[in-house]
Amino acid sequence: MPDTRIQSSEPVTAIAGTLGFGLGLRHQHYQEIADTPGKVDWFEALSENYMVAGGRPLHWLDRLRRDHPMVLHGVSLSIGAVDPLDIDYLHALTTLAQRVEPCWISDHLCFTGHAGVNLHDLLPLPYTEEALAHVVQRVERVQDVLGRRILLENVSSYVQYAESQLSEWDFLAAVAERADCDILLDVNNIHVSAFNHEFDPRAYLAAIPAARVRQIHLAGHLHCGTHIIDTHDHPIIDDVWALYADAIRRFGMIPTMIERDDDIPPYADLVAELDQARAVAAQALASRGSSP
Amino acid sequence: MTALARLQAEFRAWMQQTPVTPHGLRTHDNAPDAVAAPDAIRARVSDTRKTTRDVLLDVYRDAYALRLIEALQTDYPGLHAMAGTADFDAMARAYIKAHPSRHPSVRWFGRSLADFLGATPPFNATPAAAEMARFEWLLGEAFDAADAVPATFDDMVALPADAWNSLRFTFVPSLRCVTLRYQVPQAWLRRAAAGALEVPPAVSPESTVDWPGVDWLIWRTAPDAETQFRSMDPDEAWMLDQAREGVIFPDLCDELAAFAPAADGVAAAEDNAAQWAAQRAAGLLRAWIDTGCVTEAAVA
Repeated sequence: MPDTRIQSSEPVTAIAGTLGFGLGLRHQHYQEIADTPGKVDWFEALSENYMVAGGRPLHWLDRLRRDHPMVLHGVSLSIGAVDPLDIDYLHALTTLAQRVEPCWISDHLCFTGHAGVNLHDLLPLPYTEEALAHVVQRVERVQDVLGRRILLENVSSYVQYAESQLSEWDFLAAVAERADCDILLDVNNIHVSAFNHEFDPRAYLAAIPAARVRQIHLAGHLHCGTHIIDTHDHPIIDDVWALYADAIRRFGMIPTMIERDDDIPPYADLVAELDQARAVAAQALASRGSSP
Repeated sequence: MTALARLQAEFRAWMQQTPVTPHGLRTHDNAPDAVAAPDAIRARVSDTRKTTRDVLLDVYRDAYALRLIEALQTDYPGLHAMAGTADFDAMARAYIKAHPSRHPSVRWFGRSLADFLGATPPFNATPAAAEMARFEWLLGEAFDAADAVPATFDDMVALPADAWNSLRFTFVPSLRCVTLRYQVPQAWLRRAAAGALEVPPAVSPESTVDWPGVDWLIWRTAPDAETQFRSMDPDEAWMLDQAREGVIFPDLCDELAAFAPAADGVAAAEDNAAQWAAQRAAGLLRAWIDTGCVTEAAVA
């Protein structure tokens, strides 16, 4: 029986190498994006924001999609939940994907609710064999419904469970390999969790299967002294830029975007921050080429 | 229950405890169910060298409440301005407890707020609050309702004359009607003004308990157009309701005659009432078409 998932993912792979640098699509910037084309290579749209019947959100999505590649990024797949998969949500996502024709679809390696209650947060899973088997079979099911390979993103976390048997990076790598899905690597989230749980972020990068990494997220956060909260409301800090450079040296040029979800600055500020990402990546690639 | 299921039940129980109040008090009187004790998740995680597990678990619990409160503030700016931040916060936390989110998108979290405010003490002591919530929710529904191309006056002119004998109308999907006893839309327009928004007064100080209130029409035309609203006279509200039910135009005219104004205390003569109703119905239809409320007129 032919594997339709692999076939349908081929165009994505072809685009991935050339996609470049993107931003999260935010309503505060709709008009300026339209007025000043060419500053950003692609946009990431939050799937749930566009699961509506009509009006301004879909109007702008369609308008901006005409001139920009897009990817869809969800927060409600709840791939690790014990609740049944939300088939209505998957159908809504399928409908949206038919409209947007995204380069790919991503969500998070976490659970977001329980017993029908949506907690609207990216809650960490225990890194156990039970959770691994559970997630793998659900990813396979989702990929069958969507007819394409998905990307799963590592989340920031503030607690670790005593019962975890695997490291987070081994768990993420195992999910990707066993379920045949790809990885959206959030470099800021690695930094946040590394500080909170006192692990080496470079060991994390080293354990990730390079061929699975399709996209990178960058973002700012809130440092509370004893822990870091992943707020997406600040500029990217130097330590995250340095870790990003390491990621590019390890994985090569991966489509990269900046997530800003709160205290949204002017579009020009984010474009400037994205230019910094271009510079960091270019320098990392150059040093990669010159390294022995 | 598997180990994974138990962990998730415990995490939810932790998240759904009454969050820290604005006064810094935490109550443990509302464990959401008997599946997991509110503090059970604490045994699964450890303190770090830098802080305690309670501080870390509270990052999740506090964010849960704050995220949902922010969603309500976004959907209900008029109610927020009316209540002030502290009272809005307390109201929102009570709503979160009573109506946990059950939809993948936070867009739909606030859909039961008007009913909650209308039925729950102490909020139901301020009926204007429930009305403001109902009005704002309908504005939100109109904002991202399905798009449609409105019919034009020329479309109507082009209809064959006999079509009017059995004409039915279809309206834009964003169209909503609501009856309000308080001056909520007027207050909503002042929501961004400096200072707290006063509680809107009743439309008429002489309003009786049985008085239904003023009918309002809410709609949006183009996909990127602003949502519009305006009040309606009782006969227009009645005719619109009937037209949305599929009543054909001649029947609308016939029944509208009941609204014909009396002259000098004497009921309008039947012929005069019919003539008035035909003109009134045509005028209302023209207004609906000119403002982009109608999508189609079709022979029944």
